[in-house]
Order: sequence, then C-alpha cells, then structure tokens
Amino acid sequence: MTTLRPPRNQVDPRAVAWWTTERLILSVIVVGVAFAAYWFFTDRPWWLTLLVAALAVFCFVMSFVGPRMLYRFQRWEVTEEAVYTRKGWFEQTWRVAPMSRIQTVDTKRGPLQRVFGLADVKVTTASASGAIAIEALDADLAADLAARLTAITQATPGDAT
Amino acid sequence: MSGTTGPTGPTRRPEHLGTAPEPGAPAWRTLDNRSLAASSVLSLAIAVPVTLAVLRFANGQHWPMSWVVAACAAALVLVIVAVLTYDLLRLRTTTWRLTAERLELRSGIAVRQHRSIPRDRVRSVDLKADPVRRVLGLSVVKVGTGEHNAGGDSTLTLDPLSRTEAEHLRGVLLHSGHQAAEGTAAEQGPLSSFDWSWTRFAPLTVWSFIGAALVVGIVSKPLGWLGVDLWDNAVREAAWNWLTADPWLRVPLILLANVLLGVVGAAVVFAVQWGNYRLEQEPGRLKLSRGLLTTRSLTMEERRLRGVELSEPLLARLGGAARLKVVATGLKRKAEENETAEDLSALTPPLPRADAVRLADRLTGGPLPRLHPHPPAARAKRVRMSLVEVAVVVAALAAADWLWLPSWVWAALIAYVPFTLWHARADYRALGNALAPRHLVTRMGVSNLRTVALERKGIIGWEIKQSYFQRRLGLITVRATTAAGAGHYDVVDVGQDDGLELAGEAVPGLLEPFVVR
Repeated sequence: MTTLRPPRNQVDPRAVAWWTTERLILSVIVVGVAFAAYWFFTDRPWWLTLLVAALAVFCFVMSFVGPRMLYRFQRWEVTEEAVYTRKGWFEQTWRVAPMSRIQTVDTKRGPLQRVFGLADVKVTTASASGAIAIEALDADLAADLAARLTAITQATPGDAT
Repeated sequence: MSGTTGPTGPTRRPEHLGTAPEPGAPAWRTLDNRSLAASSVLSLAIAVPVTLAVLRFANGQHWPMSWVVAACAAALVLVIVAVLTYDLLRLRTTTWRLTAERLELRSGIAVRQHRSIPRDRVRSVDLKADPVRRVLGLSVVKVGTGEHNAGGDSTLTLDPLSRTEAEHLRGVLLHSGHQAAEGTAAEQGPLSSFDWSWTRFAPLTVWSFIGAALVVGIVSKPLGWLGVDLWDNAVREAAWNWLTADPWLRVPLILLANVLLGVVGAAVVFAVQWGNYRLEQEPGRLKLSRGLLTTRSLTMEERRLRGVELSEPLLARLGGAARLKVVATGLKRKAEENETAEDLSALTPPLPRADAVRLADRLTGGPLPRLHPHPPAARAKRVRMSLVEVAVVVAALAAADWLWLPSWVWAALIAYVPFTLWHARADYRALGNALAPRHLVTRMGVSNLRTVALERKGIIGWEIKQSYFQRRLGLITVRATTAAGAGHYDVVDVGQDDGLELAGEAVPGLLEPFVVR
C-alpha cells in the first residue's frame, strides 16, 4: 500500500517538558474551578465527588500522556524543494509546501517556550487554508532554519500564486 | 481648481485620454456634472421617507393644515439641497487624469487624498450604472489592481463618468498590454449570452418557498415606524377567523399563494439581475456584463483564473440546471471589502447543465474527463456514521426524557432513518475525482453538488489527512491548497493508493520524495 513516509526530524525533546508544563497549568485551573464549584455550590453528593475526582485524575494523566504522544507523532523535514510536516494521531495530517510558493517565514516564542529555550517556525503560502507550523524547535535551530528558508525562497523566482 | 480643469459635460470628447505622448502631463479632468441630476433623483430615496416621518409627527401636533404642508415641503427641500450641496462639493473637489504611466485621482472635501495606480497593474475595470445613471448616460467606473497587499484599498472609483468616456477609459486601460486586440473579440461572438428560457430555473431555490413570507416580515417593520401596523389585533383576529373557518381549503391556499408569489418574485429578481447577460472572451481576459435595470460589466484578467467550479444546488439539479463560477485569485478579499463573493465569482446565472459544462470545457481548454468513483468503503463509512448519529440521538432522548416523551417523536425518528441513509448514499455518489491534462477535478456535496476543476499549476501545496476510521478503511482525504477561490479544494475519502497517486501526478515532483510504495 502506498503511504507517506514520516518526515525525518523529531521536534526538540524539551518539547515534552514544555507541553507537560503547559497542560499541567491548564489542568490545575480547570480542576480548581470544577472543585470550587463542587465545594461551594452543591450538597456534595457521592456521585459528584466521584465525577470531580475522575476529572482530576483524567486531566493529570493526560497532561503526562498527551505530550508524549504528540512528541511521537509530530515530525518535520525541510528539503531543497519543500517543507514537509506530519502531526496528529487520531487524525494524522501531512502537509507539503514547495519552496517556490512560500511567501513568509516567521519564528514565534511564547513566554513558557522561552523558559525551555524553544521556538516555532511558521511558513505561510498564498493559500487561505493556513500556515504550516513546525512547533517546538530549539530556538537557535529555529532561527537558522528561518534564515535558510528565507534565503531559499528569495532565490526562487515566481510570484508564489 | 476650476482653472485647471476646463469645460465639462456631455460635449467633452474623450480623445485626449489616449496614450499619445503630449508635451508635459495631461490636464486634470473632472467627473461628469450630470451626476447632480442623478443624485437629486436618488436623494428622493431619503427625502420621501423623511417627509413621511415629518408628516406623521406633524399630524400628531394639531397644527393647521398650512403648517403641516410647510413642514413637509421644508423637509423635502432640505434633504434634496443637502444631498446636492454635498455632491456639488464632491464634484468640485474630485479630479483625475491618465498619464502615460499612471491613473491618478485627487479627491476629498475636508481631507484631501491623492491616489494613483500604475497602468500596467490594472487587472479589472468594472462599469456600473443604476437605472437613473443609465438614463442620463453615466457610469460608475471602478479600476482595480487585483492586489491585496498591505496598504488596503487597491481600487479607484470614478463616480460618475459619461458612458462613452467610461467605455473608452476601459479600452485604453486594458488594451495597452494587447495592442492588436481590438477587432478579434467581436468576430468570435460571446461565450454565453442571456436566454429568456433560463428564467425557468430561477425559482429553483429555497427562497421560492420562504421568500414571500420573509418579504412580508421585513416590510412590516419600516411600515410600523410610519404608523401602519399590519399586525394589529383586529387584522390578526380577522385573519385567524378567516383561516379557521375552513382550514382544509384555506391553509393550502395560503401556502400556494406564498409559493406562487415566491416563484414570481424569484423570476423577477433573476430577470433584473441577469437580463442582458453576456460573457465575452477578449484576448487575455473575460468580460461579463449583465443587469436589466442596473447594468454591470466586469472585466477580469485571465491570468488570475485558476479554474472553474460547476455548482448544482439540489433543487436546481432536479431541474437540470447548473451555474458556473470562477476560481480566481484576488477575488475573495475583494469580496470582503464591499460586495458579496457570490457577485464576483459567479460567471453565469443558472442555465441548462449541458450549456454550463460546454462553457466550462471552453474555459479549461478541453472536455473535462469522466470522474472516477471513490471506493465502496467511503459509502460504508457514511452509512455507518449516519446510523451512529441516529443511535446517539435516540440514546440522548431516552436518557434525558424517557418517561413522558410523546410517541410522535419516536415516529419522527423512525422516518428520519431512511432520509439519513439516502443522504449517506447520495453523499457517496457525489464523490469523484479525475486528472485532466491541465486540471485536477474533484466533486462532492449533496445540497450543493460542486465540481471543481483546479488548474494544476495553481496548486501551491498539499494537505493530506487521515483519521483513525479512514486509516482502518484504507481511505484518505487529499486537499490541494491554492491562492485562488476558497483557498483549498478537497478530494474527500479517496482510496489511499489512488489519492496519493493522484496528488503525485497532479504536481510532478512535489509529493513524490515523501511517498513510499
């Protein structure tokens, strides 16, 4: 059966720590709100106690499992001709954009990403269907990659539409 | 200002618009002064409602008759004078000129603007004339570059020029790149032109069934402000009594009248919008003109074209009709600026399917190939999904409300099952794809069956998706991204091998390095 091969590179291993931290923060907020509502606004029946506990366990387990899954499935590759990415497990998405059609190359670093020394590279084409993102690269590598992509796309003729 | 512009009006000839190099830059020119006549007529659209409102107010004040008349007259005159003054100022302060390199426009009463477009960037020239301007021989000209970079608005509007001047300006602006073009277009004849028999397709939309009721609803609002209440209690009661006196005859009668009105309304709207429709191919561009009352004429460069879309909404399809749209760059964001997307991408009104297909063949340069059906697994997936959907609804209803749910809800659900199964199968039958020498063709949709032929050169990337269920069934969704039209066109639930093969062949060299067999 014909398939698409996985792109060559994995994202930076620090991405796991970053995603885990991000999800833990989110989990604390969600579970905190749920618990507060449970504690102050209900009579605390036994089944609701169970439900809130289950939510807490689910959130914290997913905070550790989710990032490891992401790390396994998120891959990228840049060849002389194209940018190639894959992500997702339940719905896998492969994206290819040829160098000659790339319009802009950006890097992006959130505050939490900066703590872990990571950055995203975003490649846009003239299509309205959205940019191709390579998430969670080492910050220096991302900067180099962006510079390289910019150089290649500038050397390629055509108006990218 | 008037010193530089010279005499204006219908006597002015457009000869000195031409490209012939003059000593120094050409003089600044004004818009057509007959605009004053047009705006005084059009100002009635504001003046009459205002006068009516004043009349209603004055009636409540126990004023003598002469006061009421005076107040109304004053309101009428005031509005017209205000509109005319504004238009006069606008005409006085707006000048334009066409130099050898640029089209320039100076405008603005309080804030002065000087804008210019390089002539070699002009991609579209649109002429529009509402009935009033048409009678006066005027046209509003919009000159667009088809570019939407930062800096925003890329169109210059000349409102209005005389029709001859406007036509001439269009010729000069668009012909400069194609000198030898003049005579050939007329010889070929139009690609497509209006046929009154097409009016039979006009009512084939949902609007025919709900349009009349909707219009009554919308109109009753402003009438209410003017003091006419369609829905006061007496009227409502009388209507109710009339209806309940013989419901088996009169309810269907009302529904029939509603549909009849809707059908007639749809036909009238169709004729007004599309009457005098002509689509012409001139070297390097397409020219579309239409409109029975307000005439519009749009000219689009062919190099912005990335393909065509054949659109067959359910009702139209049952009537054997289809319409053709362009897939072109630079249209979408233009639509966001001021007009509807429908307006700009529509290439034809609803017309017989065979004619639409013939036109599509001509625009894409060859007959569109037969489409390959998608694997039966795609049908199985749809049928399964629709059954799951029903099961979820049943489960939810049962869980929420199982004690006192009326039995007709269950009956309705049972009736829904055949519909959803039909829909699943129709959705599967709609799927299809093929590769033409220059185009990638894909088809899908039930309520609107869309066949898109996207130029392979216009594909600027691939996005390939496979969900868990698709993976198990050996299906894949291949999405071609493009700068034109919707931004992406999808081949949904194609067999995994065929889909990747298709993408690989459509744009040689792009996907191949990543495919393993």
